Order: sequence, then C-alpha cells, then structure tokens
Amino acid sequence: MKGSTAQFRLRRHPRQHALLLALLLPALAPGHGQAAAAAAAATTATTAAMEEHAGMSPEMAPAMPGPRRTTMQVSLGEVPLVREDGVKVKLADLLHGPRPVYVDFIFTTCTGVCPMLSANFAALQRRLDAAHAQADLISISTDPEQDTPARLRAYRQKYGGGERWHFYTGTAQADAAALRAFGVYTGDKMLHAPVTVFRADPAAPWIRLDGFASADDLYRELSPAKTAGR
Amino acid sequence: MRAGRLPRAAAGLLVALCLAASDLAAAALAPDLVARGREIYLHGRLGDGSPLQGVRAAGQAPVSGSDAACVNCHRHSGLGMTEGRSRVPPITGRYLDPPHSLSSDKPDLPYIETMRGVRMPYTDETAARAIREGIDANGRTLTPLMPRYGLGDADTAALLAYLKSLDRPVEPGVGDTVLHFATIVTPEADPVRREAVLATVRQFVKDKNEKAFLIGPTAAMHPSGRNVESKMLQRIPRRWEMHEWVLSGPPESWPAQLDADFAREPVLAVVSGVGGPHWEPVHRFCETRAVPCLFPNVDAPLERPDDFYSLYFSGGVLLEADLIAARLAERPGDRPPVVHQVFRAGSAGAAGAERLARALRPRGLRISDTAIPADATGEAVRRAVAGGAPGEVLVLWLAGADVAALGEAPAGATEIYASGRLGGFENTPLPASWRAHTLMAYPVDLPDRRAVRMRYPEDWLRSRGIPITDLPAQADTWLALSLLNETLKELIDAFIPEYVVERLQDGLDHRFITGYYPRLSLAEHQRFASKGGFFVRFAEPTGAKVVADGSWMVPDGP
Repeated sequence: MKGSTAQFRLRRHPRQHALLLALLLPALAPGHGQAAAAAAAATTATTAAMEEHAGMSPEMAPAMPGPRRTTMQVSLGEVPLVREDGVKVKLADLLHGPRPVYVDFIFTTCTGVCPMLSANFAALQRRLDAAHAQADLISISTDPEQDTPARLRAYRQKYGGGERWHFYTGTAQADAAALRAFGVYTGDKMLHAPVTVFRADPAAPWIRLDGFASADDLYRELSPAKTAGR
Repeated sequence: MRAGRLPRAAAGLLVALCLAASDLAAAALAPDLVARGREIYLHGRLGDGSPLQGVRAAGQAPVSGSDAACVNCHRHSGLGMTEGRSRVPPITGRYLDPPHSLSSDKPDLPYIETMRGVRMPYTDETAARAIREGIDANGRTLTPLMPRYGLGDADTAALLAYLKSLDRPVEPGVGDTVLHFATIVTPEADPVRREAVLATVRQFVKDKNEKAFLIGPTAAMHPSGRNVESKMLQRIPRRWEMHEWVLSGPPESWPAQLDADFAREPVLAVVSGVGGPHWEPVHRFCETRAVPCLFPNVDAPLERPDDFYSLYFSGGVLLEADLIAARLAERPGDRPPVVHQVFRAGSAGAAGAERLARALRPRGLRISDTAIPADATGEAVRRAVAGGAPGEVLVLWLAGADVAALGEAPAGATEIYASGRLGGFENTPLPASWRAHTLMAYPVDLPDRRAVRMRYPEDWLRSRGIPITDLPAQADTWLALSLLNETLKELIDAFIPEYVVERLQDGLDHRFITGYYPRLSLAEHQRFASKGGFFVRFAEPTGAKVVADGSWMVPDGP
C-alpha cells in the first residue's frame, strides 16, 4: 500500500480553474456506448490533468487503503425486484447470465458513501466500454420506499448508467431479502459500509470487496492473473 | 484566530467576551464573504460561478460542483455525521479553533461523538492547508475520504468565514436547566383535533418534567463536569417548557405573529401542533428562521424535498392523490369517461383533488371537480355526488362530517375512491349503501398489523386520562414528542437546531415504535417519513372493520 506525506503546493491561478472546468465538463456528461468509449480515454486523461493542475501527480495523491477481499456464499431466491425502467425481475434470474457481474448497494439521497461508490461504478463502466469488455453492473437500493423507479432513473442518469448498468428496488420485504442474500442487510440505510460484490461467471465464487474499491480494483477482478502485472 | 485567555464567568458572558476578543465574531464577518462561503459549502459553487473541484485518492473519481460540496459529509450543521464506519468530524469555527476557559486546557464545547481529540487549534493558514492539501493542524495527513480542493485565496477565506458563522453565539431555547419548545396551532385547526393534540402535548411535557427518570432525563453537562476525553458526564435533567403559539387572523398575518412569538420566546424546535389547508406560512417561517418544525398534524403538508427544517410523518392527501393516480393507472378495462372529484373549497381535500387532477390530465383523463362552498350544508354534499354517468369514477375528498351526510349512493356510482386521511380511516362514517363500491386510500398500517406498536400511545393516553377523540392525531403527536425526546437524549449537550434535525433523521430507520405507520425513514431530500399506503374496503355495512384490497404500495410520484 502506497502512502505519501509529501508536501505539495496548490497552484492558484484563476485561469487554471477555467481550464480544469473545460477539461472536466465533457467527462461529466453521461456517456453511452460509443460515446462512453471515447469519453473513457478522455476522462482518464482529464483526471490525470486535473490532478497535475492541482499540483498533485497521481503518484503523490494520498492512497486509499485497498478493499478487503473475501469469498462469500450467496443464495439467491425468487426475490421480486423492480428495475429503474419498471421492468419486474427476479433476483435469481438477474444473476444467472454468463457475464461477469458487479453488485453494489446505494440509496439515491445518500450524500456520503454512495456518490463515491457510484462514481467508481461509472469509471468502471467507462473502462469496460473502452476495453470492449462485457460485464453487468447492478446497483440495489437500500432505501426502497424512497427509491422508486423514477428516482432510480434520475440517479442512474446522473452517473451515466449505460445499457449494462441497472438499478433495482422493490417492496421493503423484497429489498430486505435481496440485501440479506448478499449479507449486507442492516435494516438502517445509514448503517451501511461500502461493499461491492463480484462474480466472474455462474460457476465462479462470489467475491466480496469491503472498502472503497476503485475502478481499477474492480476491473482487476475480471481476470486477476491477466491484469496482475498491469 | 485564537481567542485570548479569559476569566471564567457565566456561559453567556464568557461567550460574549470570546466573541468580542476574537476574530471569530460573526458580527465581524462581512455578510458578503459569508454568503460566498455558503455557496461553496452548500452548493459547491465558487465565487466566479465555476464548480468546486475536489480530488480524492489516486484511483478514486474526482468530484465537482454539488457532489463536491462540504454539506454532503459535514452536513448543514457543520457538525459531521457517522455513515457506516465513516466518521465525519465537526468543522464549525469553534471546533476548528476551540475557545478555552482560564481554568482548563480542555475545550468548552458541546460533545459531538465524531469530534477529534486534542490537537493544535487551526489557524486560517492551517485550515486552508487542510482543505487544499489534506494536512491537519498537527501536520498529519487527513483521511483519503476528505477531498483535496482547488480553492483560491478569496474562496478559501469565504469558506472559512462561513464555517465560523455556523456557530451561533447563543443557541435558541437552550438554558442551563430548561429547554424551550413551541407547538403551533393555526385558526384553521379542527377544534376537536386541536384540543386532542394540545391535551396530549401538555401531558407529555408534564410527564417528562415530573417523572424525568421514567421517561428519561435529557442529559446535560454541568459546566464543571465537562470533560470530553474521559467521557464522564454529569447529567442534570433539563426540564421542557412548551410554549403554545396560537395564531389568529388570516394566513398573511401569521409570519409576523410567528416572528414576534420567536423573538419573545426563542425555541430549540417547534414540535407537533395542528394546522389546516394553509400551512405554507408556517413551513416558510421554519425554513427562514432556521427552526426545526417536527411533525405537525396537517393533512396537506408542503412537498419541498430540498427544504431542511420541516419534517412530516406523511404526505397526507398528497400521498393519497398519488396512490389513487397509481391505482387508476393499473386499473383494467376501459378508461373512465370522467373522474369526478368532490371536496370543500379551500380545504385540505381541495389540495388532494388538485394534485390528483394534475397527475391524471396528462393521461388524457377528463377531470370534473365540484368544490362545495365552505359554509354550505350537508345537502350541498348530497347534491354534489348525485347523478353521474355509468363508468364514471368518483373521488371523495371529504372530512368525516361530510361523509356522514352523503345519504344514499347514486345508482350509477360503481367506482368510488375516498380519502382515509380526511374521513377518519376505519372510523370514516361511510353510509352502508356506499361501502360495496368504495376503495378508501389508507396511508397508514392496517389496524391488526399496527396493534402492537399502537399499544404504547394508546395505553399511555388511557392511563393519563386523556380523552381519545382523535386517535390518529394524538398518536402522531405522542410519536413526534417521543422521537424528539429520544433524539435529545442522544445529543448529550449539543442542543443545536440543525443537529437535532440531522440526528433525528439519521436515527429514524431503526425505531420500531412507529405508531400508525409501518416504517419511518428520512434523509436529506426526504421530508415525508412514511411513503406508501393501502387501499381498503369496509368489510361490513356498518362498523369499522376494513380489509386490504391489494398490498402496501409506494406510488412513483407525479
């Protein structure tokens, strides 16, 4: 784990702010498909540029401790969920496709932890699109009565959710059952720790990542051996 | 930024002297600078209008604009929060640079559980360094969860000015041995409801003050016992003083009355109370004067998700309109030729009717509204519902007395919706001939499912000899006061209005005593704690037995 306590000065020129803004705005626009692929490369460059202009190079930015990685059992039941576009789907059906799947847990009025989780999913989505890699991103609400399909749609649009990133809600009971299946149910939306769950394919074990997994951490799960020397 | 050493004196004098001596004084802060800082803190907008930019650890996405705003983690109060295992510290001026008394090196501050331990106080320079570079006052790196912000000198100064402005010189309604609250009654309040609610409020406060150790003391720190590090707290129960602000005259005159009431008796919070269709002047008072207004008994609350100070148990008739709209959307068969709504002009029912009409018109449904004049007799109600074409949907936004006056159901009326909130839920006096065809919107839990939770308020009301004349309002009143009491107990001595709101909403999910409602939950941008409802039918021609038609549903909103 890298750490740095190097002092660094922040350059403070008004024109820098305008430049940052110009660089950053395209990265903030929601991207889909091809546009996302193009934006992905731009965004990586933008992030680097932004950190550079902020007087910090990526190596010097403080490191976040990496996520804790464990395997877990998940027993998926016939839990009835509702997607952000209103489509009804059972949890087990959602997760028996062949593609790798990532699952995280958010609520739309969350201001602390969830924006970070969703921003990381957004960055992961861009990386997947850029690499033409296929994986499904699933975000399940921990506040199902507030997070109606309409609210999930707005939240998904804000983070640029593409064809393979969907949001799910349901009745209070169904949602609790889904959260229990993944071992993250607490009964209190404020008592949530940042958790992302991953499965490479239906035959593979479920991996639980505790902590703020970056897009890199998440992407690396696709093929740990191949991406190790990245 | 540091205050000089000062002689120990009464709290108020001490604060005043601190203010005079130090440049933490809010009075010394230019209002423009504070306003500029507020834009950054609440909205992530810099002085030149561009978005605030923040960078987190390598690999984490940068943040910009409202996502970068300090309020997201440090909250409106500036006192931080706990979310999962993330502990966000308080950052108002006095927590960054604590005032010290002569006799103790320990800071003299209300206890916030995420406050950092002993460290060097911040200066303007080290605070700027923390925000821009993530180095704290002791020279240590801040948690990587805290972004490093790109802020120029002027914006940094503005933000620091705002953080200093968050400390009120004196917290309203907080005394050494007493906490002041108010309950508001508007002239539109139903007289029976008003008496029932006030009787409940008065008895709860009486119980709290007399039987402090049964209901639970509101913990307070005696000044000499204040010792944050050892957490040995000397508790003195503070008694509650409840002021009744009874408004009179037309709604336009209420803001001035409320301002005068608040100036005369500053309160920590307004709780419960009763109103009618015009609640907006009160809601706006709470928002502009920064007074928490906790769960008033109003059937037509205001839906302002971005406001902060007013909390409601339910959307009332607004929620019922959404439930009916959703039910009509799912309804099989042909679209009805017309939806006919009946309500009293200017009533809460009118607000429900307006919301339902707005939801249905875009679907091409024809809406016909009959607004019965406020002073008309029951005969006018009967006339309003008479006639009607076959296939027409009838929606009754009527209070109990008008429902009782309905007379015989019209022959052609086969699809009728009624407001449970206005009618009295299962006690709605719906005449027998109406019952077979009426679905009642029921935005509370079913009687048998809420029985256990309701035992607490019902037993308490009976044991105190309070006549139960409006159980829904009385249970809501008891619940509002209980939630306030529980929240205050957790605050130790941090009786700060915004913090009361934040802690109440954060702690709501895990409470199981929720009265009429199956679940209560609140957060930023959520001001209605209960979000769904049933539809019920009366099981018998007379009496209060109801059965659910379908399951609990949460409508998707307009």
